[in-house]
Amino acid sequence: MSLSPVDYVILILYFLFVLGIGWRLRKSVTSAGEFLTAGHAVPVWITSLAFLAANLGAQEVVGMCASGAKYGIMTSHFYWLGAIPAMIFVGVFMMPFYYGSKARSVPEYLRMRFDEKTRGLNAITFAIMTVFSSGISMYALAKMFNLVLGWNFNNSIVLSGAIVLAYTYLGGLTSAIYNEVLQFFLIVIGFSPLAILSVHRAGGWGGIQQRLPDVMTHAWKYVGHADQNPMGVEAFGLVAGLGFVLSFGYWCTDFLVIQRAMAANSMSAARRTPLIAAFPKMIMPFIVILPGIAALALTKMGSGYALPPKGAGYDYDQALTTLMAQFYPSGMLGVGLTALMASFMSGMAGNVTAFNTVFTYDIYQSYIRPHASDKHYLTVGRVTTVAGVLLSIATAYLAAQFNDIMDFLQLVFGFVNAPLFATFLLGMFWKRATGHGAFVGLLSGTTAAALTHGLTVAEGKGGWIANVHDFPSQMAQNFWIAIFAWTTCFLVTIVVSLATTAPAESQLRGLVYGFTDLPREEGVRWYLRPAPLAIVVAVALVFLNLIFL
Amino acid sequence: MLDLRLPSGLFFAITGVLLLGVSFSNPHAPMTDANVDLYAGAAMLAFGLALLGLARWNSRT
Repeated sequence: MSLSPVDYVILILYFLFVLGIGWRLRKSVTSAGEFLTAGHAVPVWITSLAFLAANLGAQEVVGMCASGAKYGIMTSHFYWLGAIPAMIFVGVFMMPFYYGSKARSVPEYLRMRFDEKTRGLNAITFAIMTVFSSGISMYALAKMFNLVLGWNFNNSIVLSGAIVLAYTYLGGLTSAIYNEVLQFFLIVIGFSPLAILSVHRAGGWGGIQQRLPDVMTHAWKYVGHADQNPMGVEAFGLVAGLGFVLSFGYWCTDFLVIQRAMAANSMSAARRTPLIAAFPKMIMPFIVILPGIAALALTKMGSGYALPPKGAGYDYDQALTTLMAQFYPSGMLGVGLTALMASFMSGMAGNVTAFNTVFTYDIYQSYIRPHASDKHYLTVGRVTTVAGVLLSIATAYLAAQFNDIMDFLQLVFGFVNAPLFATFLLGMFWKRATGHGAFVGLLSGTTAAALTHGLTVAEGKGGWIANVHDFPSQMAQNFWIAIFAWTTCFLVTIVVSLATTAPAESQLRGLVYGFTDLPREEGVRWYLRPAPLAIVVAVALVFLNLIFL
Repeated sequence: MLDLRLPSGLFFAITGVLLLGVSFSNPHAPMTDANVDLYAGAAMLAFGLALLGLARWNSRT
């Protein structure tokens, strides 16, 4: 694939605009709070789109298109079964505690609700995870640009890292959030024409249904047994593993996305942030998954387009870029590649801004220098931003040296994230949960995840202790690891909490259901209230699942 | 605080004009006969102008 001058002009124009936004916002950052938490002053439509865009990294966009080609419309379960219900839950039920507690971060909420050791465990694992996520994403992008465009690997890493660093350093979280909205628009506008063109060329949805096996165009029909579908998962593993543990674990507890909602200018806005974000999120499968399914259909129909071969099958990871090369002329190709770059930047900036907040407040201020001036923490926040980007670059090179490190780290992330939702669920809705219970529960859940991986095998992975069970796919293995980890954490937290001293009720004000004044909504118009919005989202969600039943 | 609709609108309006400009000279992409640059450019220009209009309306009220 080769680019023309107009493609480079569009890419440079985009770089100038994101840097310009950072430059323009630098004057509004005068305190650590404004730099790290955006001063809780961002309008709801912006926090909503940023909430969504922070998750729309390049790996998400490329990966979902690849999964569409590999697994068909079942990939939509990541959205219509996983993300959306979790977004409804966090908006309606959990945000009053996050926002109402006045915590500056998710780990800080854990300190207020439980104790210092639980906060420390979460803060340190989260900080490490964000840096590695950012670095791995950077590596994947540089590798893809090297493969598709022949761009130098080092230059891609340095250029993308430098631009993200510049605008996050200048304008902090506000700049990252504002740019995420621009990036979201660009991702939608850059990839939507590809979905329309590729599906149209494949004969529309009807044509795709005719050319592909039935299992590729039905989301629910073949989940009765793991052998019936390409994901290798059955209904319970899908609903409990993906729909509940993994999705709720990510959308309800990951500070990367929660931080965007907490930047909103009111409690009402913070609660509506994930609910408003759910509307565009519901549409994303049409933009990122459908082109992948169309790519497979086009390959089967001998249309002149074919997925690149890899071994006995296809290189699904190249579905998006090869479609762009075939359907986009120069000009639009520049927009598409800029959208790909934007998706990477929004993901990386999300990681860097979450990392600098957690490090500054939950590690530096808590353990290294507790009583310094606000100006000092502002400086630390800026220095941490630079350090976060440099560490990400170092991780990208580490990933380039050791291919297996990507699989390994993603596995470890699953070990840590899966039990966390049990901790939050009990912490927010059960007053008897204690700090000792939460800490031991988290460690036990992570251990259970590691043991499940060590005792089971899928596609040759796992089984490093013994092989007591074979899963038909790695995805099924991941779902079941999450189920075991969550259940273990949930049960151990309950048992240890009951065996230790209950927290005083005065310590639970604003942190636990039953001890928190929920916002009054009488006289507020329906579309400004979380509950009616949640009902509209839920109805639309049921409708979408029925269409692709 | 910066009204985000201004830079976003400006970016998409300029990109739309660029695409419209090249749409008359560019060859079609291999897999489609549609003038993708023309349609996408018009859509981006309209979107950019709508954002700019909203920003202007907001600054007046």
